[in-house]
Amino acid sequence: MSEMTKEALRGGAHTRELVAAGIRRRYRAERRFRLFGLTAIVSALVFMLLLFVSIIGKGYTAFLQTEIRLPIHYDVQVIDPQGLRDAAEMRRANYGKLYRDGIRSLFPDVESRQDKRKLNSLVSSGATFEIRDEVVKNPALIGKSQEIWVPASDDVDMFVKGKIDRTSPENERRMTDLEIAWIDALVADHRIETRFNWRFFTQGDSREPELSGIWGAAVGSFLTMLVTLLLSFPLGVATAVYLEEFAPKNRWTDIIEVNINNLAAIPSIVFGLLGLAVFLQFFGLPRSATVVGGLVLTLMTLPTIIIAARVSLKSVPPSIREAALGLGASKMQMVTNDVLPLAMPGILTGTIIGMGRALGETAPLLMIGMVAFIVDVPGGFSDPATVLPVQIYIWADSAERAFVERTSAAIIVLLTFLILMNAAAVYLRSKFERRW
Amino acid sequence: METVTVRDTLHNSLDIRQAEGDATSMPAKIQAQKTNVHYGDKHALKDVVLDVREGEVTSFIGPSGCGKSTFLRCLNRMNDTIDGCRVSGTVLMDGEDIYDPKIDVVQLRARVGMVFQKPNPFPKSIYDNVAYGPRIHGLAANKDELDEIVLISLEKAGLLAEVKDRMDSPGTGLSGGQQQRLCIARAIAVNPEVILMDEPCSALDPIATAKIEELIDELRENYTIVIVTHSMQQAARVSQRTAFFHLGELIEVGDTEQIFTNPKHKLTQGYITGRFG
Ligand SMILES: Nc1ncnc2c1ncn2[C@@H]1O[C@H](COP(=O)(O)OP(=O)(O)OP(=O)(O)O)[C@@H](O)[C@H]1O
Ligand SMILES: [Mg+2]
Repeated sequence: MSEMTKEALRGGAHTRELVAAGIRRRYRAERRFRLFGLTAIVSALVFMLLLFVSIIGKGYTAFLQTEIRLPIHYDVQVIDPQGLRDAAEMRRANYGKLYRDGIRSLFPDVESRQDKRKLNSLVSSGATFEIRDEVVKNPALIGKSQEIWVPASDDVDMFVKGKIDRTSPENERRMTDLEIAWIDALVADHRIETRFNWRFFTQGDSREPELSGIWGAAVGSFLTMLVTLLLSFPLGVATAVYLEEFAPKNRWTDIIEVNINNLAAIPSIVFGLLGLAVFLQFFGLPRSATVVGGLVLTLMTLPTIIIAARVSLKSVPPSIREAALGLGASKMQMVTNDVLPLAMPGILTGTIIGMGRALGETAPLLMIGMVAFIVDVPGGFSDPATVLPVQIYIWADSAERAFVERTSAAIIVLLTFLILMNAAAVYLRSKFERRW
Repeated sequence: METVTVRDTLHNSLDIRQAEGDATSMPAKIQAQKTNVHYGDKHALKDVVLDVREGEVTSFIGPSGCGKSTFLRCLNRMNDTIDGCRVSGTVLMDGEDIYDPKIDVVQLRARVGMVFQKPNPFPKSIYDNVAYGPRIHGLAANKDELDEIVLISLEKAGLLAEVKDRMDSPGTGLSGGQQQRLCIARAIAVNPEVILMDEPCSALDPIATAKIEELIDELRENYTIVIVTHSMQQAARVSQRTAFFHLGELIEVGDTEQIFTNPKHKLTQGYITGRFG
């Protein structure tokens, strides 16, 4: 008896030794794993920081615009020689002459035609339209004089922002010594300032960097996303609910499932080509329109939403379904009252991931002509438009130096959009989340 | 050992019942006539013929996997929700075949409530849990009526005193026993004729179990109750009739007293004396 007890005890001690040795190994493995995890997170954060610093560093200057203060005489002879005060008539007047007279009055010594042209080009040609709009809005200005701020040309803007080096040889920079002298004189006279660039946030695209804005693309993106969301969310959720809750499980539903998974993996440019063939050529929808962009992105987003929704529907415990059915709920009531609300957080997460991808998508939109140069801000779903990532692509491809900072600024706007969308998702998720 | 306890319990309740004057042979509420169930190729329930009498508690006993739950689920057609499950034969309720295509499952389930093995309250407030059935069936004309149904149901389920100042807190935050009584209240709120209970006490401690058993005894007045249980004491305590299942067949059915004191079949005898199962 005592022999057996000893044996058992020895066995116990032996087991403990083995466990102890194992525990050290387990702890080591756990520490190693945590270290890996930490390294991964830190490097992800570092890359994100680098991205943000580089983009914001390059882009923030685009939020400022160099402007020049000019004395303008709203000459009756130029604007409205007949004195009719007719808006359509006044729109046709030569407002360019007003700002050219203004800047020449500051430098009366400039004589040669060539120098005069150079002097004129310090001011952006956009000044013409700004003065015109001002006058049409307020005809009382006619005949008076006042000092106004007009945008400087992109070269002046770059020079003032320090992006053109004045110490480099004259023939290597985009600004002659004479022009630099003029700018210095204007600065000394407090006639040059960098001011908040409201044009960037209110205008569409333009050939002139200093006049180009992101608003057109932002509205285009918004309308496109709206179409995508309104189509893909209900369609996707309905499909997922049908497949998960109603469809019989047989070969056909298996085939459908496999194909939905395949769709999710198809490169987006293929959807662009499909959209071109189906929506533009077959149905004859307008080119470059946000509605077509939204349709194409819907094709792309649908599988993502369907898959996410099915997974979250699957994760709703069967006991909830039994409870509802056991009480005599119809299948539809069970789905809408119990299953969908519980699956909603997961569905929303999937939707936001899909929408995030759609917001950043460029390739399929190039196929349906959303890459065209579009100045006007779209006013509806059938107007030609472009979207933020395509705008970034267009500007990144432009030659002018001033478009570089605008590219980065557009990226900032796009990222802000994305962050806002994700924040909305987090908010909605926490609102729908239920504790068990 | 166990049989002695069962017998004791039985004799006690027998005495009481005899003192009250036994009302024999209630009419049949549900009649299963040669009911068969297949899961795919598996023949899970074979030619079951059984009457569930009105106003009585009928208990199903038998070893694990013998088809008690399967049969129970035939009675409110919950088997319809399982893929690959086929039910054949007839099940009559008040003389009407519930598997008739004319019968609406939703209506049937409003008449035959169910309480599951694991308490499964909705992740909603206590109030909303109980109000769920009345709401989907449109039983209450207005908020006051709904309030009344909820309160009466909770009262009948013996839960009202414990939850009346936290009707808005989630039903999932209650204890296991309370959750099960909440599920019973939820079933009662639809005012069913029959209540099916699949091992309602298997996740509960003896005190919570005692409360539920007491409750079942009270509910018997208004409802026909069918209960699946693994505890023979429980079957003896709460039921008037007992059915013994084995490998998908109904071996024996009779008055609880007779099944436990004088089983006709050898298998029944073996099971209740604890020789297998
Ligand atoms: N959904 C299902 N699919 C396939 N077979 C099933 C299914 N449900 C039950 N079965 C089978 O049917 C038989 C009866 O099962 P059932 O659940 O009715 O047993 P039970 O008597 O309730 O057992 P327990 O006492 O363990 O709950 C078992 O052999 C089981 O494997
Ligand atoms: Mg069971």
